[in-house]
Amino acid sequence: MVGVKRDTLPKQRPWKRPGQRPGQRPWQRRKLKKGSAASVIIVILLALLALVMIYPIYNQLVIALTGPEYIAAADGTTLIPRGFTLSTFRAVLAVPKVYRGLLNSIYITAAGLVVNIVLTSLGAYVLIKKDLLGRRIFMTLIIITMIFEGGLIPDYFLMRNLNLLNRYASVILYKAVNPYYLIILMRFFSRVPKSLIEAARIDGYDEVRILFKIVVPVSIAGIATISLFYGVFHWNEYFRAMIYLTSEVKWPLQVVMRELIVSMEKAAFIGALNFITSAGAAAIEFKALKAALIIIAIVPILLFYPFVLKYFVTGKLQGSIKE
Amino acid sequence: MKDRKVWKKRLYKDRFLYMMLAPVLAFFFIWHYIPMWGARIAFQDIRYIGDNVWVGFKHFRLLFSSPVFTRVFFNTIIISAMKIGFFFPLPILLAFMINEVRSRPFRKALQSVIYIPHFLSWVVISGIFISLLSSPGGAVNQVILFFGGKPVPFMTSSSHIRWVFVASEIWRSIGWDSILYIAAINSIALELYDAATVDGASRFQQALRITLPSIMPTVITVFILNLGFFMNAGFDQVFNMMNDAVINHVDIIDTYVYRIGLQKGNFSLGTAAGLFKGVIGLFLILSTDRISRKISGEGVW
Repeated sequence: MVGVKRDTLPKQRPWKRPGQRPGQRPWQRRKLKKGSAASVIIVILLALLALVMIYPIYNQLVIALTGPEYIAAADGTTLIPRGFTLSTFRAVLAVPKVYRGLLNSIYITAAGLVVNIVLTSLGAYVLIKKDLLGRRIFMTLIIITMIFEGGLIPDYFLMRNLNLLNRYASVILYKAVNPYYLIILMRFFSRVPKSLIEAARIDGYDEVRILFKIVVPVSIAGIATISLFYGVFHWNEYFRAMIYLTSEVKWPLQVVMRELIVSMEKAAFIGALNFITSAGAAAIEFKALKAALIIIAIVPILLFYPFVLKYFVTGKLQGSIKE
Repeated sequence: MKDRKVWKKRLYKDRFLYMMLAPVLAFFFIWHYIPMWGARIAFQDIRYIGDNVWVGFKHFRLLFSSPVFTRVFFNTIIISAMKIGFFFPLPILLAFMINEVRSRPFRKALQSVIYIPHFLSWVVISGIFISLLSSPGGAVNQVILFFGGKPVPFMTSSSHIRWVFVASEIWRSIGWDSILYIAAINSIALELYDAATVDGASRFQQALRITLPSIMPTVITVFILNLGFFMNAGFDQVFNMMNDAVINHVDIIDTYVYRIGLQKGNFSLGTAAGLFKGVIGLFLILSTDRISRKISGEGVW
């Protein structure tokens, strides 16, 4: 095993700016004077913006946690859940469609992520080799797919012809390599020092092992970033799942949720057959049911969010994150 | 002869790399290039027995003579233009404001909060907005009532629904889109500000004379990129927020393709509409790329 340590990478200091004095960080300098009217106004405006971002989500949480005797009065301005209860969540998770949807979503996201990461890493590793014969042609062919596509109906026909309709594979493999994320990963991979790769080659590593044992581990920030993007993509995908997966038992959570939100009908959502088994959910008011579902769909994203947040805040991805 | 030998040698030397690349290229071929070829049904009548019949531009003529498609086309343009016009400057403004924040913890907390909506699906966002804008219980209408106004049924009002699109787009993307500008501001040389301070420039003048011109290339690049994707008025957003009361005002090309093509089974017509949009999009992207090269010497790609 070649000794790979994180500190073999060139030091990157995203906040280091030209003309900066030692030990000084940009946010320590050249701000408005503390306490000046303008700076107070800006802070207030920004705090208001943060409130606008968070409040609608918080409000859904409040409604989902409000007890049945108070739910009728709960509205957009309710700040604290009266008659606090977790029974709404319990009832929602007991609806077969919902827990199956949750499992389907987890399965599709996990399987999809594995395919995404393996394929994108393979592609990124090969395509950063400048002297590879045909590299420009391959890149051009990939970039063309970013600006022109066959469209929804030819996509659907492709699935039908591959006999993938109503199979999980249709949504797992959909957009298996996203060209934007491929390019992001290529940038990370090209920062891996050549000497490290050469050392591994001398040790007798083949290309596949160099990629997965050296390049991927030292580019973990890049892998984490595209994992978040791909993961969010799979978790949030509803449209392709809705048209490709024809049987309801295979629906991911987003499709189930869409049905409730768009149809606005509780009975159709729970399903006539399930009315007895899901008696708990049937008794719950529509808005609480919907709010609980929304929160259930958001929580997994918020769980993974902090791990990658630091890369966004420090601006390491500068210039590479326009979707 | 010699060239070919060198060629073969290089191919052989990199054989493992090509083997690694093969599945990736296969994916792009199957998932992207086969559907491009499949889009030829826009020029065909589909036959379930025997081969499809080539009919040229018949479906396109049908499309352009249809009042529904005309409406859908203009809806796409109007919604897209509204989004660019009212959304585009906001992340820039936000980046300027964030740049003025002294307190580092506040700055970090703020940044982590404002990126969150970008990661939510449009199904979730429309669920949240339907609730937020509901009448009269939603938070927005409660505020309107508090100030003595009359509640507005935003989601089902044809004069408001497009503004709901703009507002929800702002909610979702203002934070995320500001990242690029924050990064651009962070890379401006501090000497510039030093010199300006010596010259007695106020903070506001510095923002106007130094920061703004310095990030202009980024602003221009993002703007023309937006123009390039002008024909995507936001399928997921429209699809999840539309309802029968407002459909005539919000129906865009992408929702039309789905309805006509997949739901009503008019595959050729739907593909023709999608292809029409795709060709306009391609034209827009290629021309904005050319403009970008002229202005900044750098292409979009």
